[in-house]
Amino acid sequence: MSPKHLSRDTKRFLWIGMLPSALLYGLFVIWPAINALMYSFTRWDGLSTPVWIGIDNFVNLFKSGSDFVTAIGHNIYLTVVPGSIILTLALFFAWMIHLKVAGSTLFRVTFFFPNVIASVAVALLWVLLYSTTEMGPINNIRQALHMEKVPFLESARLLQSIVPMMVWSATGFYLVLFLAAMENIPVDYYEAAHLDGASPTLQFIRITLPLMWDVLTTGIIFLIVGGLKFFDAVWVMENGRPSPATHTMSSLMYAKVFEEYNVGYGTAIAVLLFVLVLIITRISMRLLKRERLEY
Amino acid sequence: MHPGVKVNLWGDPRVDEKIKPRVLRRNPPDLASCTLPVWKLITAGRLFPLDDALASLAYGAEGKTWKETLRAGVLADYIYDDKTYALPSNLGVWACWYSKKLFREHGWSAPSTWDELTALCEKMLAAGIAPLAFQGKYPQYAWSTILSCYQRLVPFEKWYDIEDFKKGAFLDPSFVKAADLMQELAVKYFQKGALAMTHTESQMEWANGRAGMVFCGLWLKKEMEKALPDDFEMGCFPVPMVTGGTGDPKAIYSGGGESFFIFKDGKHPEIAADFLKFLLSIEPARDYVKRNDSLTPVIDCQVGIKISSALQSAVDAIEGSTRMYSDRLNTLYIEWHRTLVQQAQADLLRGAITGQQFADRLEAGAEAVRSNPNIYKPPARGVPAL
Repeated sequence: MSPKHLSRDTKRFLWIGMLPSALLYGLFVIWPAINALMYSFTRWDGLSTPVWIGIDNFVNLFKSGSDFVTAIGHNIYLTVVPGSIILTLALFFAWMIHLKVAGSTLFRVTFFFPNVIASVAVALLWVLLYSTTEMGPINNIRQALHMEKVPFLESARLLQSIVPMMVWSATGFYLVLFLAAMENIPVDYYEAAHLDGASPTLQFIRITLPLMWDVLTTGIIFLIVGGLKFFDAVWVMENGRPSPATHTMSSLMYAKVFEEYNVGYGTAIAVLLFVLVLIITRISMRLLKRERLEY
Repeated sequence: MHPGVKVNLWGDPRVDEKIKPRVLRRNPPDLASCTLPVWKLITAGRLFPLDDALASLAYGAEGKTWKETLRAGVLADYIYDDKTYALPSNLGVWACWYSKKLFREHGWSAPSTWDELTALCEKMLAAGIAPLAFQGKYPQYAWSTILSCYQRLVPFEKWYDIEDFKKGAFLDPSFVKAADLMQELAVKYFQKGALAMTHTESQMEWANGRAGMVFCGLWLKKEMEKALPDDFEMGCFPVPMVTGGTGDPKAIYSGGGESFFIFKDGKHPEIAADFLKFLLSIEPARDYVKRNDSLTPVIDCQVGIKISSALQSAVDAIEGSTRMYSDRLNTLYIEWHRTLVQQAQADLLRGAITGQQFADRLEAGAEAVRSNPNIYKPPARGVPAL
């Protein structure tokens, strides 16, 4: 039923029902967002009166050699590298489980398990795994094999070290997402393709992928947004003191606002992060858009 | 003293993260000791000056003002417009720490020159012990050693050019040499994997005898108290004299730390100042020494107290020194220090840049600070009077 056909009383009831949520949303989301936008045009330390400086904060963010430009590079790295590995592995394992290879139920649980652990706990676990002290099993194995210890947690190589952690912790979620989509595809299509002599690979490319494209697109958007907002692992693995070699946009924003009291500049980062997530998500959705297939 | 006044003490390992938003919300506690962008608070008029309290009579020291009971120089770092805005609760020493027992077993002695230090490192390598543990996740731990090394190379008139942020100060060839010497220590003598270790991990390696020495502040003893074996005898020596250097060989990198601030926005700034005066009076200071095995800026706070070998060696180092000096650039120019200096040190220590490139980077960053009118720069102090 369209809103036009609702009675006056029903409409009034709906408005009254929505009012508390709308007020809370306005108070805790819209109002701070408008404030943040205004502060991003000021030089403000959070202590004295803000000084209007127009777009200077945004210009400074993109100055050559600025920490923000480096941080964007780190976000892109943490989106593209682990993202592509996660997508590939999740699709591969989901397909294997869908084909009901031996032990597929066990794999389903095993792969999903890391996803139930909080991201901070995951980071702490990998700090232990990577440790260069006697506590670190990876370096202990390397030493047993007469190989040099690798300082995985050194700032200069931390981003590379985060990739396996992200793959380990996130693959299971996407696997379950993709598997659910695969299992919704009617078996008849595969049977018909099989009778026509299509190989499993061809079936995957011609049937599975097109029919789960919407879910795959959703997964890619999740990965892009997650990569652009990336914060917790860098913060935990750098013990709350990320360096320019490891800062992401979010950690840089936090450091600018709360460590350096450079509130205007930090808020400009927040505004840009919001705009970037919005634009990149829209672009990705447009690029990934396919004609919807129904079955 | 103040009937009806109830003091709520609150401590948290995450105190920094909890206090900072409260300061921004103008809802700070009366008194706090944590890492804050202090100079921004001072110049914004958000801290309460302590001068009236400092000029009043001290608790437990008849006839003396509170200021007269404190070590000379400990108040110098946070003076703005002739007013004092912070009071250190701790007196720190930057030194190289070792196990006396380990040294005795191998017949090693504390080095007094840089050449002796590197020779000792070679002996440790030959004995299968990593010479130096290092808190690599925090490259800023190298800063005090670099500055101490630079002090050994140049007279104080030159050393304080850096503290006064004078144009070209970081390009001094002796500063480049100090950076090169630090890099040599890192590349040749740091424990393998040290650059990926936190402070506690690396210090644990040292406490367990897998590394022979560690550069750290006096807080090391308390920080590692539970990890140290019962028979561990801590000793320390100051950063050694560099051969050919013209700096004072007996000066020591030491100064106030763990500063307390009183907020103007707090509810009871005057009472907070009085409470701070009580905290830093002789009896609580002596109690602090007993409990924490550390020093306070209160004169003679350790006299007559049975102290550990670790603290005794720090006291010996201070008493044997001709001058105490320390750095305040990390509190004045936070962004420069937290980003540029931290990254440059990380790159220097892992051998990715030379000492000259390190100095160039610091100077370029310093120049950007000098030319930024929005960053407060205090008037040049030169060499403080003794």
